[in-house]
Amino acid sequence: MSERISFSDIYWGLIGTLAVIVFWEFAARGGFIDASIFPSPSLAIESAAQKLNGADVIQHIGWSMYRVLVGFLLGAIAGIIVGIAAGWYKFASFLSLPLIELFRPIPPLAWIPLAIIWFGLGEQSKFFIIFLGAFFPVVTATYRGVISVDPLLLRAAQTFGLKGAGLLLRVAIPGAAPDLATGIRIGWGLSFGVLVAAELIAADRGLGYMIMHARLLGNVDVIVVGILLIGALNLITDGIIVWMIRKWIGRWHGV
Amino acid sequence: MNELHRRYFYTAAVFISLLLAWEYATGNGYLKPYRFPAPSQIAKAFVELSNVGFPRDLTIWIHVQTTVGRIAQGYVAAILLAIPLGYVIGRVPVLEKLTNPLIVFGRSIATLSLLPLVIVWFGTGELTKVILIAYGCFWTMISNVIAGVKYVDKDLINAARVFGVKGIGLYWTVILPAALPRIFAGARMALGVGFMVIVGAEMIGTIEGLGALIMEARTFYRSEVTIVGMLIIGVIGFLISSGLGRLEKYLVPWDTGLDEVRR
Repeated sequence: MSERISFSDIYWGLIGTLAVIVFWEFAARGGFIDASIFPSPSLAIESAAQKLNGADVIQHIGWSMYRVLVGFLLGAIAGIIVGIAAGWYKFASFLSLPLIELFRPIPPLAWIPLAIIWFGLGEQSKFFIIFLGAFFPVVTATYRGVISVDPLLLRAAQTFGLKGAGLLLRVAIPGAAPDLATGIRIGWGLSFGVLVAAELIAADRGLGYMIMHARLLGNVDVIVVGILLIGALNLITDGIIVWMIRKWIGRWHGV
Repeated sequence: MNELHRRYFYTAAVFISLLLAWEYATGNGYLKPYRFPAPSQIAKAFVELSNVGFPRDLTIWIHVQTTVGRIAQGYVAAILLAIPLGYVIGRVPVLEKLTNPLIVFGRSIATLSLLPLVIVWFGTGELTKVILIAYGCFWTMISNVIAGVKYVDKDLINAARVFGVKGIGLYWTVILPAALPRIFAGARMALGVGFMVIVGAEMIGTIEGLGALIMEARTFYRSEVTIVGMLIIGVIGFLISSGLGRLEKYLVPWDTGLDEVRR
């Protein structure tokens, strides 16, 4: 019993993951599922390693990360600026809220055709779509964060003589930080999903292209490895963002 | 004029002036009509779409039906699977620990990255789209169900025990109602995911559905048709999401304080 309790969460998680991998491996090797269309992880990695060139894969990863970073940064920065403006200045909210509410229900992927019309098939159209993926979660979270800052904090700061931009920068924005952080995380996840889709539909490099191209060649192993790679990248980058957010807002909010 | 009226007034003013400026700019050649079709052109395209259809005979209503049908199938399948599974996982701590990394990883895999694989397995037909939607909705849904069930206030459970509620009754009368707000939040998020996925999935290998419509229209240089399609996607998303909100208010009147989580 005592042994069981000393098992930490990580061990249980590892056991669960291993069980699934072993089961999958066993099913594919034992012929219960057709290994040519659903290869086991070890077989997929092994044969994909023969077909894929390491340098190429790194290039695909590089392109994908470059796109998602540029698009996400543009979207997050724009979202933060617009969100703060709309939350702080009444006039800005009259202008921007209706437009945001109008465009928010349209999924970023639905902009792909228009992005191609406006920006062609190059990088710009991908930046634009990823921008949208980051912009809407960030802008709505920032706006909500700014308007729901505890009025008591604001009044206290006013009593101490803070006003205008100082009040905004030193009280309202730190107060809105947790909401902002949530928006940034959601935005990053969405940017990532959007990136893959944009690369599937219209691209000639990047991880999304890599797996779509592998389908044309019938390389299921490459597809499986590509999917796992995309998932792992998303997970790792999300972890980095959580870590950065903790460092950033930890001094105001006890997280 | 009170505050609310003033708000509506400004909103209307913003929209109308933007539309007028847009119409004027395309009419006078400041904006290329192919890139930025004028509002009047978009309105005409809507009439054309609802009468003639694009491509011919596929009216906008058929596209809407197809897309909504696909979403509904995948969405319902995901919910039916995720609620019981998530419920059990959320109530059994060991199971929760065992499955946690898998669920985190499953959620991290961009749904549309599965598209090539699912096409290899099931071809480019309806099933592929439904499976992708179900996959995307499932992970969002199950993580919310687990969280909802897991974080049920211990005091509620203890209080119910004191009153002699136990076994199935405890699950049915205490834990499920307490978890429902979170489950509904998950259902709404999952719907957003489903919408996102279907638009992407329809852009490949089909001519029916709103995603296909907007992509086809681009190939034929009919950007006004693309815009009509986008607007309709937005309207449907908005309608379904607010419909779910209404349903939630009706079914879960005890819901409190989860507004921050919900989107």
